[in-house]
Amino acid sequence: MRTAAELKLGEKAIIKDIDNTHPSSHRILEIGFTPGQEIVLLTKSIFNDPIGLSIRGTIFAIRKNEASCIII
Amino acid sequence: MTSTLTENKIPLITLVGQPNSGKTTLFNYLSGKNYKTVNYPGSTVEYSISKILGKFSINANILDSPGIISLIPSSADEKISVDSLFSHPKFGKPEIVIVTVDSSQLSRHLYLVKQLIDANFNVIVVLTMLDILRKKNLDISEIKLSEILGCKVIKIDSRSGKGIKDLLLSIKNSISETNINEELFPEMNIHNQKEKLLESYRHIEEIEKEVLFYKEPENGNNHFDINEVNKKLIVLNSIRLPNKPDNLTLKIDKFTLHKFWGIIIFFLVMSVTFTSIFWLASPLMNLINDMFSLLSSGSEVLFGDTLFGNLISNGLLNGLGSVLVFLPQILILFLILGLLEDSGYLARGAMLADKPLSMIGLNGKSFVPMLSGFACAIPAIMATRTISNKRERFLTIFIIPLMSCSARIPVYVLLVAFLIPQDKPWIGGIALSAIYIFSIFSSLIIASVVNKFQEKIIKESDNSSFILELPAYRKPKLSDVLNNTFKNATQYIKKAGPVIIYLSVFLWILTYFPNTNPQVNESGKSEKEISELKNSERIMTSYASSLGKIIEPVMKPLGLDWRVGVSLIATFAAREVFVSSLALIFKITDEGDNIQTSILKAMKDAQIENTGEKLFTTATTTGLIIFFVFAMQCLSTVAISRKETGSWRIPVLQILVFSSIAYVLSFLTVSGLRFFGIN
Ligand SMILES: Nc1nc2c(ncn2[C@@H]2O[C@H](COP(=O)(O)OP(=O)(O)O)[C@@H](O)[C@H]2O)c(=O)[nH]1
Ligand SMILES: [Mg+2]
Repeated sequence: MRTAAELKLGEKAIIKDIDNTHPSSHRILEIGFTPGQEIVLLTKSIFNDPIGLSIRGTIFAIRKNEASCIII
Repeated sequence: MTSTLTENKIPLITLVGQPNSGKTTLFNYLSGKNYKTVNYPGSTVEYSISKILGKFSINANILDSPGIISLIPSSADEKISVDSLFSHPKFGKPEIVIVTVDSSQLSRHLYLVKQLIDANFNVIVVLTMLDILRKKNLDISEIKLSEILGCKVIKIDSRSGKGIKDLLLSIKNSISETNINEELFPEMNIHNQKEKLLESYRHIEEIEKEVLFYKEPENGNNHFDINEVNKKLIVLNSIRLPNKPDNLTLKIDKFTLHKFWGIIIFFLVMSVTFTSIFWLASPLMNLINDMFSLLSSGSEVLFGDTLFGNLISNGLLNGLGSVLVFLPQILILFLILGLLEDSGYLARGAMLADKPLSMIGLNGKSFVPMLSGFACAIPAIMATRTISNKRERFLTIFIIPLMSCSARIPVYVLLVAFLIPQDKPWIGGIALSAIYIFSIFSSLIIASVVNKFQEKIIKESDNSSFILELPAYRKPKLSDVLNNTFKNATQYIKKAGPVIIYLSVFLWILTYFPNTNPQVNESGKSEKEISELKNSERIMTSYASSLGKIIEPVMKPLGLDWRVGVSLIATFAAREVFVSSLALIFKITDEGDNIQTSILKAMKDAQIENTGEKLFTTATTTGLIIFFVFAMQCLSTVAISRKETGSWRIPVLQILVFSSIAYVLSFLTVSGLRFFGIN
């Protein structure tokens, strides 16, 4: 099982599920990371964390730890 | 308009929407910027409220609320925003809720719209950012969207006023509708489960396909013809929506978030920011200072050496001057921050800072407040509201007073000028930068130590999170930025101004009484000499000097005496008062030389009364600088820290911790330097 935190730079993926045991999962769903949507890892910060994911035409900077609840 | 009664009686329209969806722009258009800000009682959530401008002939109040992503809050402040949407403690329930929806991010923004409709609000949807959507050769059918959602949908551009007429008409109609139907008021019945959320989004995706359509770039003819649009409406079922962010943004991000260039750009931006704060502000600050000394001597001429004249020139004008002298720096800082934010860079800055800051218990979102702290702790502490995690927010508030605020600059400038050789002013620049770097590192160290003991000090725990939209880069809009800068500056004056002025007057009282009319030997002296003699006699026998003598034992280990002690007490009004209070105590008159040169001369000559030792030496002056780096002296900051954290815990700890660190380190510096023979 891979998560969005393991994406390579420029890699695309379709969201399979969101792990709702993560405390940030609800907010992540609310901002549009829903199963079936395509995400792209567009940028990474200097320390490879946070990462920049595009969803529905918007880029979100999001910590790797939180991105790990996005199952792809 | 100021009466609460009338505010409660006329209808209330609340603007709701995700952050950056265009609420404030619309609010400004409808209110003509005649707003006042109100707080939710006992909290930090702030609203702007205003009556709709007379020319729009709608008798209603409009409320601009902080952005929310959903009706299910994920932080304390969001909860307050949501609760007060359902029932504002002061203004009640809104008759109409206008939701701003960024058309270029339709699906994400419709989520909140659906929640609001489900909660039974009387919703008007306002579509903004249509120009951005049009750049992607897309358009929206507001008629279809309105049919599907079952509420009014209006396209506007509140920067130009396009579409506002239609909006006003809908508001008028909706207000009369609600008057008939009072029962239809919102109830809290919001779904919370994942399944419902997913269903909501599935529905939204259907809607999106129905209402979005491709549209050829316009050929000069800007007229909207509904029939024309409907004819061209191609259902997007078969076409994939372009879900790629702005190309230029992606290219710029390759640099700004690059492992090497990203850091270079980051530090470049920071240095340009700070350099401009200093260099651009300093002539303006001098101007303000000069103006106030002119006013001050003018009032002396006018009222003479009387109680009243002294109150005006040394009490009131002094206080007012201390407030206004920072205005240039605050304006410039907020101008630059505004430009950076509007251009889209600030979000990247926060992203870059998140990893290092999270290692010491802070958050990428602490970055902007900390940066503002270099102008003034007051707006900086208020800016921490964007940090959703309470522990991180309190920790940020805790260390903000350590950021080298602009009130310290005049003090550092004076003390550094004392330390460095007169003919090498450039050393001063280096010394000042060194002080800044020192204060940044110290604050980071203190933050990590506090973070270690956070259960004891901060006492909050929460899910640590950093989710931040990276907006597309764009050219900042100067008028918006200026508007915001102005708003922040007024807030500073309102919050810090009164405290500083009262304290200045209070301190003046301490230095003027009880011996208001001292007897001096007047024989053979000019009027000016007599007046100066009286001034110094007065202060030597004043309450301030008694107070200073009481704390003298505390000052002794730092190599200082009661006079510096009094000046340090005076810094509780504002740190830079240190300079003017030294001038007062060392009986420096404005005449002849410029004031700094005279103070420097007086400092060089000053001796400790009993021993005859020099008062200001390299050791004691360096010690004083160290003291100013750490000490929590500003009462306005204490007040705002109390207000924003909702209790006395944090501010009291700040006073205790920072003042002890200041004292101990200053003592160690002085003794250390002396030990190595530097005096
Ligand atoms: N391109 C474009 N920008 C807009 C429009 N409306 C507002 N803005 C800009 O979007 C930014 C965010 O708007 P603001 O009103 O502050 O959003 P708020 O966070 O919801 O209050 C501002 O810089 C506005 O100038 C619009 O229709 N088109
Ligand atoms: Mg706003």
